[in-house]
Amino acid sequence: MSTVMKTTRDVKGIGLSIPRPDGPEKVTGQVQYVADLSPRGLLHAKLLRSPHAHARILRIDVSRARALPGVRAVLTAADIPELKRKAPTRAHAVLAIDRVVFAGQPVAAVAADEPAIAEEALDLIDVQYEVLPVSADPLEAMKPGAPPVADAGTEADTSEAQAHGSVAGVTTEAKPAKAVNISQQARIQRGDVAKGFAESDVVIEKTYRVPMVHQGYLEPHAVLAQWDTTGFLTLWSSTQGSFNTRSEVADVLELSENRIKVIPMECGGGFGGKIRALCEPITAILARATGRPVRYVMTRREELEAGMPAPQVIIRLKTGVKRDGTLMAIEGEAVLESGAFSGAVLAVSGVFLASLYLWPSFDVKGFEVLTHKPSIAAYRAPVAPQTIFAIDSQMEQLAKAIGVDPVEFRLRHLQREGDKMANGQPWLSNGGAEVLTRLAEHPLWKKRAEWKASSPKGRLRGTGLSLGGWLGGLQPTGATVRLNPDGSVQVLTGQVDIAGTNIALAQIAATAYGIDVDKVRITTGDTDVAPMTGLSAGSKTIYTVGVAVMEAAKDARNQTLEIAAKELEASVHDLEIDNEKVVVRGVPDKGITLAQIGKKGNLYMSKVQPVLGVSHPAFSQQAPAFCAQLAKIEIDPETGEVTLHDFVVVQDVGKAINPLAIEGQMQGGAVQSLGMALTEALVYDDKARLTNPSLLDYRKLTSADLPNIETIIVEKPSPHGPFGARGVGEPPIVPAPAAIANAIEDATGVRLTELPLTSERIALAIASAT
Amino acid sequence: MRRFELILPESVDDCVRALAQRGPETKLLAGGTDLLPQLKNGLLKPARVIDLSGVARLRAIEPADGQGLRIGSAVTARTLELDNIVRARYLSLAESGALVGSVQVRNLATLGGNLCNAAPSADMAPPLLALDAEAVITGPKGERRVPIAAFFTGVRHTVLAPDELLVELVVPTPAPHSGGNYLRHTPRRELDIAVVGVASQLTLANGVCTKARIALAAVAPVPVRATAAEQSLEGQPVTPDRIARAADLALEVARPISDQRGSAEFRRHLVRVLTRRTLITALARASA
Amino acid sequence: MAKLVLNCTVNGEPAEVLVQPWDTLLDALRERMGLTGPKEGCGTGDCGACTVHLDGKPIASCLLLAMQARGHVVLTIEGLGRPGALHPLQDAFVRHGVPQCGFCIPGVLMAAAALLTENPHPTEEEIRYGIAGSLCRCTGYTKMLAAITETAGAAAGRRS
Ligand SMILES: Cc1cc2nc3c(=O)[nH]c(=O)nc-3n(C[C@H](O)[C@H](O)[C@H](O)COP(=O)(O)OP(=O)(O)OC[C@H]3O[C@@H](n4cnc5c(N)ncnc54)[C@H](O)[C@@H]3O)c2cc1C
Ligand code: FES
Ligand code: FES
Repeated sequence: MSTVMKTTRDVKGIGLSIPRPDGPEKVTGQVQYVADLSPRGLLHAKLLRSPHAHARILRIDVSRARALPGVRAVLTAADIPELKRKAPTRAHAVLAIDRVVFAGQPVAAVAADEPAIAEEALDLIDVQYEVLPVSADPLEAMKPGAPPVADAGTEADTSEAQAHGSVAGVTTEAKPAKAVNISQQARIQRGDVAKGFAESDVVIEKTYRVPMVHQGYLEPHAVLAQWDTTGFLTLWSSTQGSFNTRSEVADVLELSENRIKVIPMECGGGFGGKIRALCEPITAILARATGRPVRYVMTRREELEAGMPAPQVIIRLKTGVKRDGTLMAIEGEAVLESGAFSGAVLAVSGVFLASLYLWPSFDVKGFEVLTHKPSIAAYRAPVAPQTIFAIDSQMEQLAKAIGVDPVEFRLRHLQREGDKMANGQPWLSNGGAEVLTRLAEHPLWKKRAEWKASSPKGRLRGTGLSLGGWLGGLQPTGATVRLNPDGSVQVLTGQVDIAGTNIALAQIAATAYGIDVDKVRITTGDTDVAPMTGLSAGSKTIYTVGVAVMEAAKDARNQTLEIAAKELEASVHDLEIDNEKVVVRGVPDKGITLAQIGKKGNLYMSKVQPVLGVSHPAFSQQAPAFCAQLAKIEIDPETGEVTLHDFVVVQDVGKAINPLAIEGQMQGGAVQSLGMALTEALVYDDKARLTNPSLLDYRKLTSADLPNIETIIVEKPSPHGPFGARGVGEPPIVPAPAAIANAIEDATGVRLTELPLTSERIALAIASAT
Repeated sequence: MRRFELILPESVDDCVRALAQRGPETKLLAGGTDLLPQLKNGLLKPARVIDLSGVARLRAIEPADGQGLRIGSAVTARTLELDNIVRARYLSLAESGALVGSVQVRNLATLGGNLCNAAPSADMAPPLLALDAEAVITGPKGERRVPIAAFFTGVRHTVLAPDELLVELVVPTPAPHSGGNYLRHTPRRELDIAVVGVASQLTLANGVCTKARIALAAVAPVPVRATAAEQSLEGQPVTPDRIARAADLALEVARPISDQRGSAEFRRHLVRVLTRRTLITALARASA
Repeated sequence: MAKLVLNCTVNGEPAEVLVQPWDTLLDALRERMGLTGPKEGCGTGDCGACTVHLDGKPIASCLLLAMQARGHVVLTIEGLGRPGALHPLQDAFVRHGVPQCGFCIPGVLMAAAALLTENPHPTEEEIRYGIAGSLCRCTGYTKMLAAITETAGAAAGRRS
């Protein structure tokens, strides 16, 4: 599919660093997000949330709240006929029915004239709870007899795994009958691990822990809902997938999907946290109850207490190697804490642990465990950073233990295209080895010994690197490309632009059609008008929608040429598009402009068909994408403070459609990865209540904590992506935790296995080691 | 935020009158950087709020008739960070102001709010303790002065009565050959709250330490002075060994708790490290 | 409770608006004056998305009551520059491809503009601290630094 369209000169299209066209609107504050919309008659919604992680609701009295002037609706589960027990997903659990299963779960909802009145109404709602014992720790929750989270008979939710199109072929195991909180269980196995360990010269066993972390998008969840008099619902939503939102809301409200229109507003960050519906259903229900437009914007505290964070992941790994560097065996368990509802991508963890490197024998188990915490969702390459933290830390230690170069050790064992993954599927074409090799050539890696030796008095310097990746998602999609009467081109998709993808898609359309990108306009349509499309997730927008746009543009180009052929009485094969004109090759003055063709398609009584290129592909081949990162650090051993001096990201993007946008993705992803590595954690007490529900205490990295992030783009074309492109968004969030842990060990000799690698953990580990 | 009545006095007297009329349902508002989050999170639900931003006197920095400097309670952290007199005489206080929040917060956050909010981690408290400052308080019964060391009575509690107002701080001018330093530890470099904060202030005469002050934040319910450590330094030259011993002694007053910002163990560890480091800097500054 | 009259200057024009006593300046700008450029990312001072200038200084407008701005001069992102007449920082942000989701951008720009007014030749470190009160989750800050550095350099170039 990587045919480049012939033109007499290169059009302005793919490969150029073109700033996003919405830049001027964004820097002037003109871009509209959901919270910026205030239709006439607007009401404000607030939710009453449970202070307890697990409790029975004995009684709710809303009478005083309903009586407060300015309050237009106060709803509990009893007021919503569609609600069912055994909610399979968070979206279905609109309001708690008679049991709350995490602190922050909505119990009642209010719509009022002003936010302040809605808040006062919440104060007036009287809820009596019977507090129940909690499962706050996943390892405890796995045990028989732990306080149960789900109602008996609730199904595991694997749609998240499907959304990320990650892995097939992992055997799911029947769970032990008494371990009520194990919601999914899987195992991958090959060879004889016991024999492998017996024959190993070095066996290392460690347990790695990564806490729940929040996607941290700066715009909190927000929805505006309005019904018309015919019972048609319009939702303005901050979502990563308007069609998915429509389906979920239709399912919860038992409405036909063609009774709902979802208008995707500018999304102020999602990173996986705005895939699943969260507050859309309750906002729609409040709007229905009041007959008024209702806006709900989550507070940051609600986001942190009751958003959909990434799971806590606890991985025990035991690995054996021979002194000559031969890998022998790997064995372990991955426990994914999913919170109150099932939905973790369990298999990703198993596959990365057992099949990133070539283990002759492996036995890896995975468990999804429910606890009384907010249910989790995807977060940029879900579970990959956590898994790579474990396996890459382990590889580094094995290399050190047998005294071989850690990069060579990784490269020697890295699985390549065609090698069988643990689930039996072959690895597809990827640039894993290329990015690691490229990073190892970087002067900062070559000079790591000098950096270490240059440590000033009272400081310790070190360098670390790591390799990680993402398998790539797939989802059917569609696009149309039109020729306008003035000769400009119009692209329509339903794909929400969360990563600068629209400019890249416009560039793809430009190159495929043969027109400069300035003449291409791309629109994200709402669910009423746009071709159906998938989520903006799984690093698949360019890889899949890019194909649709490319094919639709080619289709439009062919239609254009056919019309021109008739008009010019020439053969299609002799035509080309040059400078917004279709010309006969070799006869420069014989031609027709795109504008003339476009006009004919829109003239009264014209017999010329309008140009409308269409493509609506489905896909079967993923494109794994790898990223290697290097951290050059300095540590104050007394305070544990880490100074990041340099950070390098090398990534295989297949083909850089828009290098500027790609660099932005690499830098942003790397900094999220560094946050996970160094400071971020949702910290719960033993009653499963969040102890740090603010951005002051949930510490995303600030500009003062960071160096410039150097980016190096590697292009190993994918066989199926548009012009060879691969997914870009997710890989850069994967490697930093392991790279930092490796750098800390290089600097201090101390190996840390629990994220975040805070100053406290570093200082106390150094203190106890000396 | 819930609804409340807003009162906009223009003088200290107006304030005192407004406070006298209203009961415990009333909250004073300075920069709002502590109060507004508390209102928004529903921790406080006052019926009335008195805004101090219209009272010019509270924002003044002026000489205190030979007693040092008067710093109005509504002087912002940003002003302390940048003010030339404050920087010249009370560098540790300027340093603590510079550490608060971010510049967007420092332009609002006031000295009085930091003290009256009485968080154990309040950054501007330890330097004032180390500088022997006095709080000037006014209320229906007139003005009174309280040494800052006696100002804090517990977590989020001070000697202020509900009808009283902190007007200003009087900070004595340090003797010649004095130097101070404030350091804190935070997981992030900006936008963070002290895990531990330490202010040290030393005065030298002929190579001998004539006065030592060490004050700690976030290791006890209130900011505390490490008096044993101070005494161990006074009356003799300040040597690395004595600094190390003082850092050990500072631990005696630390009664840290473990919370999500840091464990008690880490806090104790930091008291030693930061006490030593602030004393080294204070010594260098006093000797300069 | 009766609404109050807020008199102040907003983006160079005198403004007289009715506000609630409990409205923050951010609420008043967004909900009562239609200036939705400043964003609410946290409401508690922790993210910088709501940054505006009060008498030329950057503040978290989510922490100031609207009435506390009485008699003061307020500048929002809408007053910094307009499409077609961008402030040099805005122009640099566009050219460097800084904005991704864009939610932090108005706040970052107001912090950066205030920084350059106070300190026209900041070091990299000073820029990093100057905008540290504005969290951005998308960009990793690298391109922001480049855009601000370039603007400061260009300003210096013009002066000399
Ligand atoms: C993002 C962020 C970061 C922060 N970082 C730090 C930090 O690094 N270090 C730190 O120490 N603090 C920090 N804080 C807390 C806060 O900014 C400071 O404590 C600040 O100094 C409080 O001052 P204020 O004027 O905003 O107080 P306000 O919020 O206005 O008031 C605080 C309390 O003091 C009372 N009060 C105020 N003035 C008076 C007076 N004159 N008389 C009597 N009572 C009064 C009020 O009624 C209220 O109870 C941070 C806050 C935020 C939001
Ligand atoms: S919204 Fe004001 S600082 Fe976050
Ligand atoms: S661009 Fe999205 S938060 Fe900064």
